[in-house]
Amino acid sequence: MAMYSAEFNVHDATMRVVNPRNILRIDWMLPIFVILLAAAGWFTMYSASRSSDVSYFYRQVAFFFIGAAITLIIVCIDYRFLVSLAPVMYAVIVLLLVAVLLWGTEIKGGKRWLRFGLFNLQPSETSKIVMVYALTWYLTTVGPRIRNLFWFLLAFVIAGVPMVLILKQPNLGTAGCLAPLTIVMLWVAGCKRWHMAVIIGLGLSVIPLLWLQMRDFDPEIETPRKAAYELKHYQKKRIYTFLHPEYATRKSGWHTYQSKITVGSGGLSGKGYLKGTQTRLNYLPEHHTDFIFSLLAEEHGFVGAVVVIGLFAAFLLRGLMYARDCPEMMGTLLASGIVTVLAFHVFVNIAITIGLMPVTGIPLPFLSYGGSFYMTTMICVGILLNVPMRRGLMFIN
Amino acid sequence: MPGSKKPLRYEGVELRVQLVALLMTLALSVLCLQLWRLQMVHLAEFRALAEDNRVWPKRLKSERGVIYANDGTVLADNRASADVVLVPGECPKERLPGVCESLERIIEAPADLTLAKIQESAGEPFTQITVKRDVSKSALMRVEEHSYDLPGVFTVVHPQRRYRYGKTAGQVLGYLNEITQEEFDSWDNYSKGDLVGRSGLEGRYEKWLHGRDGYMHVTKYAAGLPQLRTDARGVPYIAERDSLGNTLEEEGMRQEPAAGKPLHLTLDIQLQTYCEEILGNETGAIVVLDGDTGAVLALASMPGYDPNIFVNRDFGAPKRKKKTEPKENAGAPDAQTAPGPEEKETPKPADGQEASNAQAAAGSGGAAPTADSTPRGNDELRELLGLAKPDPSRPNRMIHRGYAGQYPPGSIFKVFLAAAALEEGLITPETTFFCPGHFQIGGKGNSWYCWRHSGHGSVTVVEALAYSCDVFFYNVGLNKLGVERIAKWAHKLGMSEKTGIDLPGEMPGLIPDPEWKRLLNKGKPVWEQNWHPGETVNLSIGQGGATTTPLQNAVLMASILNGGVRVRPYLNQELGPQNSERLFSEATLATVIKGMRLCVEDGPPAPSGTGHVAYTPGMAVLGKTGSAQVVSLKVQKMFKRPEDVPRKYREHAWFVAGVLDRQPKLAICVLVEHGFHGAEAAAPLAKKVIDFYYAKTGSRETMTARQGDTDGDVLR
Repeated sequence: MAMYSAEFNVHDATMRVVNPRNILRIDWMLPIFVILLAAAGWFTMYSASRSSDVSYFYRQVAFFFIGAAITLIIVCIDYRFLVSLAPVMYAVIVLLLVAVLLWGTEIKGGKRWLRFGLFNLQPSETSKIVMVYALTWYLTTVGPRIRNLFWFLLAFVIAGVPMVLILKQPNLGTAGCLAPLTIVMLWVAGCKRWHMAVIIGLGLSVIPLLWLQMRDFDPEIETPRKAAYELKHYQKKRIYTFLHPEYATRKSGWHTYQSKITVGSGGLSGKGYLKGTQTRLNYLPEHHTDFIFSLLAEEHGFVGAVVVIGLFAAFLLRGLMYARDCPEMMGTLLASGIVTVLAFHVFVNIAITIGLMPVTGIPLPFLSYGGSFYMTTMICVGILLNVPMRRGLMFIN
Repeated sequence: MPGSKKPLRYEGVELRVQLVALLMTLALSVLCLQLWRLQMVHLAEFRALAEDNRVWPKRLKSERGVIYANDGTVLADNRASADVVLVPGECPKERLPGVCESLERIIEAPADLTLAKIQESAGEPFTQITVKRDVSKSALMRVEEHSYDLPGVFTVVHPQRRYRYGKTAGQVLGYLNEITQEEFDSWDNYSKGDLVGRSGLEGRYEKWLHGRDGYMHVTKYAAGLPQLRTDARGVPYIAERDSLGNTLEEEGMRQEPAAGKPLHLTLDIQLQTYCEEILGNETGAIVVLDGDTGAVLALASMPGYDPNIFVNRDFGAPKRKKKTEPKENAGAPDAQTAPGPEEKETPKPADGQEASNAQAAAGSGGAAPTADSTPRGNDELRELLGLAKPDPSRPNRMIHRGYAGQYPPGSIFKVFLAAAALEEGLITPETTFFCPGHFQIGGKGNSWYCWRHSGHGSVTVVEALAYSCDVFFYNVGLNKLGVERIAKWAHKLGMSEKTGIDLPGEMPGLIPDPEWKRLLNKGKPVWEQNWHPGETVNLSIGQGGATTTPLQNAVLMASILNGGVRVRPYLNQELGPQNSERLFSEATLATVIKGMRLCVEDGPPAPSGTGHVAYTPGMAVLGKTGSAQVVSLKVQKMFKRPEDVPRKYREHAWFVAGVLDRQPKLAICVLVEHGFHGAEAAAPLAKKVIDFYYAKTGSRETMTARQGDTDGDVLR
């Protein structure tokens, strides 16, 4: 392994790609938040699973421990090694995304899954982490040239290819995740401010375009799409539901409507553990996956919800601290990218459950049920924990 | 380190990361603000919405008030009717076909039909699918026995109206029908699908008999309601806890249903049954009043209907097989024969739920058997409601001829005329008129004949009543009373207006007068508007457009019996008598009574009163016959012999009778449509009623109900 050392770090003579001793050097703050969040997840999952299947709870606990093992493995691997593999990862993921479009399994109107013999793979899910690595690799390679418009725009091309492929599936939620990720990482990498301003301005200009599409939209009448930029009917319907909550009570927005009732009826301190009526009586669908936060807010009220949001904030800010304090650009970019992905999930998921955004299938880290997303989250935790391992550099410098 | 000059990070990256952190914190703060808005500001709204989601008031149907006869016999009550229902959501999917087949085997509910119903409600797995309505006790028990093989199958019980005497007094009790939208909107305390009274007592006392529904507040699942179940004894209950161990019924929120008020009638069910029996296949009515109070003892009209048919309504839905006629199949092929064995239990008034459940145990076995499931109700119901093409040869069965049928009174109107003329002092008991067998106004012009063409000779009012001399009354009507006074007395005695009996749909009848004729022919030539003396002549013997109801004549009879007081007939005991002031003097009454007694008592070989058939030795029976023409004499004369006259051209036979020296004093009016002659068709029926009533009761001093004593000679 030592043969790679010259390539990615010449200053640290003791550097090894795999170093189990890293485990002893783990920063203990972040794992505490992780464990608290995971515990909150189990606690909530037990309540959620009571009304359907208690095995969800046991499996969720198991996922955490499997995930923790993966975290420890990731911690032991030097992130610079993984970043160096980023071009390969990127190529593989693009191929997989193309494969999904060609041979994917269609579930609920979206081609998202690749069926292998033993397991199913959702390349769009994996693409989030891969994109963090790919952009980290690209931005560290480009270095200060990022202030140059060409290199700045090339980053969007790199991010844009998988994004378009994911939009084709279609999977608006994941594609939406890649946009803030790219922007945050470019920002941290030190792009020019006016470049960023123009890009954000262009992004916001989508809103009038959307408005044009939504102006005459009637959710009851399904019209064929006229242009490529136009949204699909079900996507428009979700936006329509979000803009017209009274329509929700009738048909499509049952989720949002019931979720708001669930959260709102919780009050300050909630209805009490295992006493949430909305979830227990199945008024809130998917209350163990995407809408688990509603259950939490119903049973534990405003206090419980804010405590969990606070834990997420602490966790994410701790991650950004690693980014800030990392002596080299690669660690900073990696940590800020990972934090952005996780923050996007936290924010969008909660915003959906409390009716601030239209419904898209975005799970909540540590709380929503689901093995592969739990694994993704724990890999992110491992990557984050690996970043401050390099703090020693400061003294070397 | 000296070797490396390459900066690992550019200046200001820390600031940029901190800005990201700031934005992130702001974003999460927005979430907290929205949470505050939902959970603190709008808490009450969302709490209410959540509560609406959670709690559902499940209706516990109240029972309709029981209707009792004057001796406490139950006429109409409620039996527990059990439906077998299937809740697909409570049955494992793969077992559904098997369960449907089992149900076909056990209760003969076609499996394919059940499966089709399950398919229909596929989106709502927790709805109750009615597999079979109104199942028998034995089927209920078979379902309970197999309950382990029948997941998701339950029996639900609801009270259903039962008329224990079937056709007997059917029109008086009235029928039920589904509540209309307008009624539902404007009436309190009703639910959709409720049955409400449409005619008879059920209609008149709808609000009285209708109970107040109760509610149990149950926890509702998004997918459906927890099911109200029924145990083997027919008692409804709800599973106390669901599979997660949560309580389903809200504690302390239960509101028990309150049964409707019981209705105690003055009706003597035995007499009523007997009256309908003796009318037999005739079309007609018998009205029997207590002469002193106006209490209705019998109000028979034939042909009638069985109100049970309406309760077990199932017309218009051929896919659902008609269940049963609880009453008819209970071993009572003829409504007049004895009710089923369970009727012998002493009815306890107003004991609501428990009694009916107990009756369900006995009743649904005995009174609602599955043996004969021919859908008789369909055709009969269609006919009754006028949905089917009416058969012109069959008389209308919906109309009660006793109070809603209007007929020319014919000769029984002479009682009215005699009493009025006597009371006005226009004639005295000694006044005589000569009857040559015909009558001419002023001695010329058209002739009016007496029914006896040979004439009665010189007759007094007593004789005129006894022998029904037409000429005497032509004279009284035209030359003594005059049409104005007839109209005045008609108003006084309640002719041409409703008697006020507590039944809907009563008809007023009509006694014509000049004013009425003028209004009727308004706009026509004057001679058609003017009243002619000939019309007064016709009116004097109850013809010429005059119509009355049998009930009105019974009321008139009652006032002869009770010393000249007009009574208001009533069926609800709580109404009590409501009498007018005295209308006739003793002397007037004595004369009329004398005439009416002579009508009955003057037997052969003497001239013979027309009502002699009703003669009862040792009893002061009053009577007056009547034969009201429905077509002119010319039509009748087209036929050589009286037997040749087609039925529809024959006279209506009337007989009014009263019993003076017994308690209660019966005031009877018999009408037989197209019965030909009152003396032959109607009078024998009155005689039978008198014999039956006083033989049954002896001479009862009061109308006190003899409870529990009804088995002996009930309905013979």
